[in-house]
Amino acid sequence: MTGRDLLWASSALVLLACLALVLLIVLTKVTRTVRERRTAELVAPHRPHLLAVASGEDEGGTHRDALIEVDGPARDAVDVVVVDLLGKVRGAPAEELASVLLAHGAVDRAPHDLRDRSTLKRARAAHILGLCHVGAALPLLVQALGDPAPEVRVAATRALGRIGEPTASAALLAAVGADRVVPAGPAADALEGMGVGISGSLRDALSASSPTTRTVAAYLSGEGSFSRSLDALRVALACDDDPTVREAAAVALGRMGRAADVVALLRETGADRPRALRRACAAALGELGEPSAVVGLTALLGDPDPRLAEIAATSLLLLGPAGRSALDSAASNPSVETARALARLQAGAA
Amino acid sequence: MTAVDGIRVLVADDDPDIRDLVEFKLTQAGYAVQAVGDGLSAWEAFQEQAPSLVILDVMMPGLSGIDVLRKIRESGAATVPVLLLSAKSRDSDVDTGFAVGADDYVIKPFSPRELLHRVNGILARVR
Repeated sequence: MTGRDLLWASSALVLLACLALVLLIVLTKVTRTVRERRTAELVAPHRPHLLAVASGEDEGGTHRDALIEVDGPARDAVDVVVVDLLGKVRGAPAEELASVLLAHGAVDRAPHDLRDRSTLKRARAAHILGLCHVGAALPLLVQALGDPAPEVRVAATRALGRIGEPTASAALLAAVGADRVVPAGPAADALEGMGVGISGSLRDALSASSPTTRTVAAYLSGEGSFSRSLDALRVALACDDDPTVREAAAVALGRMGRAADVVALLRETGADRPRALRRACAAALGELGEPSAVVGLTALLGDPDPRLAEIAATSLLLLGPAGRSALDSAASNPSVETARALARLQAGAA
Repeated sequence: MTAVDGIRVLVADDDPDIRDLVEFKLTQAGYAVQAVGDGLSAWEAFQEQAPSLVILDVMMPGLSGIDVLRKIRESGAATVPVLLLSAKSRDSDVDTGFAVGADDYVIKPFSPRELLHRVNGILARVR
């Protein structure tokens, strides 16, 4: 076989692979469209009942009962729409919709479906357990945080957030830093949904081995002003190996720290510290609002990092008359002028 | 006849379930509802129908709810009340909505009953 033949053969192979890929995409889209159309056709006669229940216009329960009576292939199709609607409404209509799923056996099947081979089925099962607030499924959902499929892990995370049981918070925080990672955004949302009961888990997670877990714990500690985390945040700011954790700890201390934290935050604005950490600490000192930070922040106005100088100037404005006076008497530079202009704007708006 | 019979409400949401749900709830209460699925259609319908109240989703294809709200506030009918109905729930999102001129902000998942009360309340204040 000559080189030219080889070239033709490989080109033909590439072309065939491309064609197969296009065919696969078209086939997937057609299958999905057909399935959606089929579902819509099956659901159409029951849509008025669905809308009545979901909108809370079903005082006698007639429409809910009609939905419960649905049988055959239409039952699965109705359940798909009920699950969709459940994620969009709250209050009594959500409870009524959940009762339809319960009557159809979808809630009882969900724990079993969490072990199904189909990723879609596992994710949907987790979704249903969360939407219907099935507290008994907590251990299974925690287990699902380690599912091989990311969509199932996210569905389990959201389900735990909806159930809102704080005993799951430690597992969720650990999952953020696990090998089969749970994304930090949905995890943080779910943890916030669990309320004040997560304070112990947050404090413990600040000494976890994963920096991602520590960062999320620091961030949430500040968001919720969890004072039980204060000591661990101070340790993290001073000693953590990971600069992102230290930044998150600085932000949290800015929100919930005490006057004594000014010294530690100022120390981390030193020229030998990472740039992002210095900026986070300068901003945190403004958030903290302690006048004892005025001298330290004023010293940063001439820093070679113009953004840091600007943040320091803005923070001074947040420290009241002492900070404003320090800014007014500081030597002029672009950062100082920006902050002064901002101050004038704020005064004008007040 | 109820006091709201025939009052025109424009609803814009790209989620057909939400659109149908809000339309159903408000129609049951006696409002005349027009529902559209994107921001551009919302703006066109607003100009053509002159609704008494507008309910806008924030995240829509083309023009966002915030864009439509801004256009409404810059138009000749700037005082028409607008309620934002959105899954964006952070404080900054709500702040932005009110800063651009929303009269109310309802976060999804929402209670249809509460939404109706808010619509009734807004219209009672402006009429």
